[in-house]
Amino acid sequence: MHIPDGYISPTTVIATYAVAIPLWAYGFKKLKEKLNEETLPLIGALSAMSFIIMMFNIPIPGGTSGHAVGAALIAILFGPWVSFISVSLVLLIQSVFFGDGGISALAINSLGMAFAGAFSASFTFNALKDKKFSPFIAGWISAVGASFVIALALGIQPIFWTQNNQALYFPFDLQTTMVALVGSHMLFFGVVEGLFTQFAYSYLKEKDKIKDLSYEN
Amino acid sequence: MKTKIFILLGFLAVLAPLGLISESSAWGEWENEYYKELIGYIPKGIENASSLEAPVPDYTLNGFNDIVSYYFSAILGFILLYGIFYMLTKLMHKKQENNGTL
Repeated sequence: MHIPDGYISPTTVIATYAVAIPLWAYGFKKLKEKLNEETLPLIGALSAMSFIIMMFNIPIPGGTSGHAVGAALIAILFGPWVSFISVSLVLLIQSVFFGDGGISALAINSLGMAFAGAFSASFTFNALKDKKFSPFIAGWISAVGASFVIALALGIQPIFWTQNNQALYFPFDLQTTMVALVGSHMLFFGVVEGLFTQFAYSYLKEKDKIKDLSYEN
Repeated sequence: MKTKIFILLGFLAVLAPLGLISESSAWGEWENEYYKELIGYIPKGIENASSLEAPVPDYTLNGFNDIVSYYFSAILGFILLYGIFYMLTKLMHKKQENNGTL
């Protein structure tokens, strides 16, 4: 889920931007190191792929829907910083051009789907090394990790910002967001992210194995 | 890897309208009335949220059917994102030529 404007308090907005801005600045530096004529089409196309994957809204029981992100695949292929910046840019475009996710919520959406999504995938993949199902597990962890950050940001809203017993921003508590968001990602969207990462990675990695290694770190 | 990435991208883009199957959104993402029905009020912050008007809100192009809108959005998303990375690469090259270093 992309958090829209008005779902999180101004304090949360400021705090999340304060965390995200230095990370974006550092991430751009890391991206520059990897971006050249050769990697441009790859990183550009993978980012567009992330954009399109997020358009696949998958309905699940309970009247809600969700989507994969594609952060894990980019993180495995080009490292977590490139993935973090790429997915953040996807979220920026979605927010500005398509009204999907608020601009005030861009920082928290990026910290969840892009930062947590990319780094959890990267750590998991590196820890597991070249096991057969490493991409699946990295993808699953990535989606669950992202949903955890989003659930946390939403769930703390009614704890701190309530007036006359009415929530000012997002009204459901932590327990509800954790069960609904993290739970649904463990059961459904994480599996989709995992399957996508596994298939895309196997498909892309096949044959030109040696060449690909040059993109890593 | 380049050709394969574009094949995969094209394949996913063609399938994009499958994403329209889901009618339900997450937690009233596009609809404030959702809260009124569920908890009896719309939280003030959500009700008064000011958002910029998006050119293609919710991936819907005015006057076109959903599938056309979705394809249009996918293509626009690709152009914008690829464009950003293209510009970044070009900018870096210019810098390199000017300074002789990164």
